[in-house]
Amino acid sequence: MYKLIIITSLMIASSYFSCYPQEKTKITFLGWPDPGGGFEEVISDFEKENPDIDVEMIKGPTSTDTRETMYVTSFLAGEATYDMVFMDIIWVPKFAKQGWLIPLDGWFKEERKEFLPGDIQGSIYQGKIYRVPLQSDAGVLYYRKDLLEKEGFMPPQTWDELIKISQKLQNPPHLWGFVFQGKQYEGLVCNFLEILWSFGGDIFDKKGNLILNSPQGVQALEFMYKLIHTYKITPEGVTTYEEEETRHIFQEGRTIFCRNWPYMWKLTQEENSPVKDKVGIIRIPHKEGKNSFSTLGGWGFGISKFSKNKSACIKFIKYITSYQAQKKLHLKSGIVPTRKALFSDEEILKLNPHYPDLYQILLSAKPRPVHPEYAQISDILKRFIHKVLLGELSPKTALDKAELKIKKVLKE
Amino acid sequence: MPKSFDEQKFGLLLILPSFILLGLVALYPILRNLILSFTENDQFIGIKNFILLFQDERFKSSLFNTLLFCLISVPLQLFLGLVFALILQQRFFTRGFVRTSVFLPWALPTAVMAVAWKWIFNDTYGVFNDILLRLQIIKEPLAWLGKPDLAFFCIILAEVWKCTPFVTVILLAGLQSIPPELYEAISVDGANTLQRFRLITLPLLRPFLLVALVFRTIQALGVFDSIWVLTGGGPGGSTEPISLYVYDTVFRYLKFSYGSTMVIFSFILSLIFVFIFYKFWGDRQIEY
Amino acid sequence: MSLSFINFGETDKLSTKKYRFSPIIYGLTQISFYLLVIFIVILHLAPFLWQVICSLKNVDEIYSLPLKYIPSKISLSAYRDLISNPLFLRYLLNSILISLSTTFFCLLLASLSGYALSRLSLRFKTFFQFLLLIACLFPQIIFLVPLYELMANLKLINKPLALVLPYVTFSLPLAVWVMTGFFQTIPKEIEEQAIIDGFSRLKILTKIILPLSRPALATCAILIFIGPFAWNEFLFSLSFMIKDTSRTVPVGIALLSGASMYEMPWNKICAACVLTTLPLIIFVIIFQKRIIEGLTRGALK
Repeated sequence: MYKLIIITSLMIASSYFSCYPQEKTKITFLGWPDPGGGFEEVISDFEKENPDIDVEMIKGPTSTDTRETMYVTSFLAGEATYDMVFMDIIWVPKFAKQGWLIPLDGWFKEERKEFLPGDIQGSIYQGKIYRVPLQSDAGVLYYRKDLLEKEGFMPPQTWDELIKISQKLQNPPHLWGFVFQGKQYEGLVCNFLEILWSFGGDIFDKKGNLILNSPQGVQALEFMYKLIHTYKITPEGVTTYEEEETRHIFQEGRTIFCRNWPYMWKLTQEENSPVKDKVGIIRIPHKEGKNSFSTLGGWGFGISKFSKNKSACIKFIKYITSYQAQKKLHLKSGIVPTRKALFSDEEILKLNPHYPDLYQILLSAKPRPVHPEYAQISDILKRFIHKVLLGELSPKTALDKAELKIKKVLKE
Repeated sequence: MPKSFDEQKFGLLLILPSFILLGLVALYPILRNLILSFTENDQFIGIKNFILLFQDERFKSSLFNTLLFCLISVPLQLFLGLVFALILQQRFFTRGFVRTSVFLPWALPTAVMAVAWKWIFNDTYGVFNDILLRLQIIKEPLAWLGKPDLAFFCIILAEVWKCTPFVTVILLAGLQSIPPELYEAISVDGANTLQRFRLITLPLLRPFLLVALVFRTIQALGVFDSIWVLTGGGPGGSTEPISLYVYDTVFRYLKFSYGSTMVIFSFILSLIFVFIFYKFWGDRQIEY
Repeated sequence: MSLSFINFGETDKLSTKKYRFSPIIYGLTQISFYLLVIFIVILHLAPFLWQVICSLKNVDEIYSLPLKYIPSKISLSAYRDLISNPLFLRYLLNSILISLSTTFFCLLLASLSGYALSRLSLRFKTFFQFLLLIACLFPQIIFLVPLYELMANLKLINKPLALVLPYVTFSLPLAVWVMTGFFQTIPKEIEEQAIIDGFSRLKILTKIILPLSRPALATCAILIFIGPFAWNEFLFSLSFMIKDTSRTVPVGIALLSGASMYEMPWNKICAACVLTTLPLIIFVIIFQKRIIEGLTRGALK
């Protein structure tokens, strides 16, 4: 008993006195678990070139929302726990509005045109830029090349074509036509937006007016509902799928088409994947006469207002978003680059023959509404879209209600 | 007992460290929330937030979900906990092992087990569907987490599985504190098993049942981890409890004062429950 | 009638004294009792057992259909990955340190407070009870930001104390309740006798009351250690322990990832779950015996 007391008190006391030799400038940021070790390598390269700067990447959990909470908590406490902010594209307006980020216009002006336009657009809030994009991400349609080729089908450009092919080739429940992310989470909004845009609709127009509740909006929601209940090419369980669930279904060969992010490519081409060499990527289909758009995801670096080492941060951000560093990150960790030039890089093209296609898709990808209250808007959308998928609400009613709620949020 | 000054001092000394800790770690944040709920951007706005709260559809729906969740899961836990405690009370071969197994669900990390449950309830690869299909209880795989009623069932199942051991432990301690002489005495008077249970066991267990009831209810009112992982409040917000809405309001919408308002409301709600429980169930004898 | 050998709430052996019926019926009721016990054990262990099974599978086997209940090849790769990860061992160590400290200090404070509340009349008693009550009536989430500020101001971020302080505080209500309830079952005569014999209050507490309280202390210890504010706690640990080397196990499990951002390496997650429960199971086994020990010594005499 006494031993326990002594040991415990000693350990607590020692934790009080642990010191930190502070000679170098130290900057930190919160990232993800860094599979592949790309970040670690780039960081150590940077530290070799800049021996007076120590960069620490704190590895956070996989869940984006949890990492967001960690950033928010430190900002709320006014703490410089993280000097740089490795952020999702949708955090930018929210953090910028709160004044937690410093604008980067001072040194990030000319370089912008080297980067993908959608990623830049999503990093700007009220005319100032707060984030340098590092990783790009956009929704794409994966399909089973082999199944289509066997029947002589071309990859679908329109939704009608996709439906036709699916109905012809599918064999539910062993082989479905089309799966997407239909669970009530951010992914659902990404999927919905792609369909909405492909029908010619949008949430806000160029002037910022709410145009969600339009005939195109209704058509889009109706279409999603019909996929499950009328055309029957999508399983009912889609309302519980996130990215991983759809990947497994596609990878196990249980669906012809799958909408997902670029990350899935590498995994489907691994040695033991049942669909290795049978996979193709194309744009998200559109309605006849309209255009295809993908929802833009992606990550980048901002600088916290509370950081005491802002110049060191600038140096590091410039470094990690450079051509060489992005290339390394791609080769080691599969990160989709944001610099346009990298999509013509020989080495990268050799590994990823689908990259030219991906590049075109990324060029036309659109970010989600860049609005500080986006989180609330998104949550409202999620609920109502999900209810429509479940058949609990008709598309028109859902949009009417959603519109009312979003208007309320915008007024605040 | 003589109420000497020394005794007072001694008593105060005993509770002093706890007092300080509670004041610092528990009271200060609560007071801060109370103040925040009456302000908006550092300006005093009176009860405007509370009025907004009562008009908030999403809040009303989350309140309903929370209450329904408590109403179903808590009595279930109490009942099962009592049954298990009674059984564990008996002396039988491998009792030690059985006791340890029964404590297990409570010991596992909530968030991690919720991820496991999510996988168990998966419509394609989940064990739950698999077993039900094999036993021919259902004909087709069900989307457990995709339909509102089924999802609600899932969160209750996960909660009851995790939290019943808590009740079992408390009731077991209670059962073991009942002096055996009481049973002997009443058997002499010719009471049968059921009467023994009704006249001795149940009344003497009352304080422990009360403790279990109060703590389980309060924890159920504040449930967060498991639902957040398992359903995220879906589908369609049908499993969203108050705490999840608070989380979104504070950390995603950054509406701190409104969040505080919700918190104060749930605090008052919990107080009401505790008050009701004590009024109708509290035994004067055991009150301290 | 045929259940008469089961004594509701009584601790003596399965009594066959009152039993007058044929051995066959006795045998049947015995069997049905054991069947019930087995069913209960399966209910409690099943999800966990599934974790164990999945932790031994190869990654691809987890997603193959139809479901395999017995892995065709037992693969310890998940465990090997975990154990060879020094960071994961560090997480375990942190969890053990923090949980043990929490349990110890909480028991200490709870016994002192519980004794004061059950025996002595104090001026601040009601206020103190009120504090205890409100400490557990709020959803945990709302303490997050104010406490983070507090810990940052006290320079405790990344130090174990940042977690031990709130854990002890929030575990107090239940612990105090249990200890107080137990102290009240100790007959006052014992203390009155001790006072007459000239013992000081402090001596009574340490030499008489505490030793008698072993079963309650044991129960309390279990409830604290495996409760929501020690081993399993996630939110505060995630927010206050930012450095890798300071993290605890539940957060560590959340950090496990596969080759991509969205991947969940199920075999590793399951293995981690199994590994992290082992200390808990050991803890419970140790203390579980103590409960019985304390009682057979006639603690109430």
